[in-house]
Amino acid sequence: MKQSKDPFEAAFEEEQESLPDSPVAPDELETQTPAATVVAFDAPDDDPGINIRSGQPSTSAAAQSTATTAGKTKEEEDEEEEENMDVELGKFPSSADPDKMAKMQAILSQFTEQQMSRYESFRRSGFQKANMKRLLASITGNPKISVPMTIVVSGIAKMFVGELVETGRMIMTERRETGPIRPCHIREAYRRLKLEGKVPKRSVPRLFR
Amino acid sequence: MHNSSTAPTTKTKVGSLLPTDASFKRKRGVFQKDLQHMMYGFGDDPNPLPETVTLVEDIVVEYVTDLVHKAQEIASKRGKLLTEDFLFLIRKDSPKLHRCTELLSMNEELKQARKAFEVDEEKLASAD
Repeated sequence: MKQSKDPFEAAFEEEQESLPDSPVAPDELETQTPAATVVAFDAPDDDPGINIRSGQPSTSAAAQSTATTAGKTKEEEDEEEEENMDVELGKFPSSADPDKMAKMQAILSQFTEQQMSRYESFRRSGFQKANMKRLLASITGNPKISVPMTIVVSGIAKMFVGELVETGRMIMTERRETGPIRPCHIREAYRRLKLEGKVPKRSVPRLFR
Repeated sequence: MHNSSTAPTTKTKVGSLLPTDASFKRKRGVFQKDLQHMMYGFGDDPNPLPETVTLVEDIVVEYVTDLVHKAQEIASKRGKLLTEDFLFLIRKDSPKLHRCTELLSMNEELKQARKAFEVDEEKLASAD
């Protein structure tokens, strides 16, 4: 399941290759300079959820320092980069919380390879903006869909997929089954989510179902 | 519910289909690739079953459709559909609401950072 090569993936894989050499130590993580690598890349798409690379010239100047990337992932770079931007814009989102970040780094450093690859897929995956835009345009009938709306709906849909898959996995453990998730699990998960009220119900009941 | 009657061409992305075209031809497999990665990230097999992916895609499209219809109902008084309507719909679901506000604020930050970047570029260009 190889994703198409975009500059961020290439850079990320570069980091991953260096991982087996460098021993994972917590102090290494703390001494890393923020946004050390890859800041020079300009984001080809403005999907903030995945490819957070702002073209900030100040950080790109400092970006030439090599990243001793023991366990340093794109996600950490994202948070550190947000921290940089926060200092300049005067905003303090919770993701820049040093406590949370330290916890996150501690967890990430202990990931196995399989866990790391799954986490990477989790962070990077998302709906294509163009496809989502087309879908929204066909539903609303209005060809003009604003970018924030696409972003919001993609985010909501991704979390919904997460709920489906996680509930599906839960059902599988209940039934003590293994292997890939099957459609019957997803259907049961969908039924349960409907009971919980997490799925929007049609206000007009569908007749002759 | 067998979809064998649908022509194989419906699976391909029709780039020539204009967004103003009000046809309700729904191409299947539009989100296939993205969904595979997504499902793996959320806990499925590295190679999810294709029928599972298709089912999840159908469910997601129905979910988005119902969501948009509800948002349009809310926005009908105003006339225009706004992003706030979606945020109102998910107000009870705090993880989703939190995530969406985070995404929107990050988008704003990126926009401002890009604007600042362009201004600096201009300055550099004029300084030469």
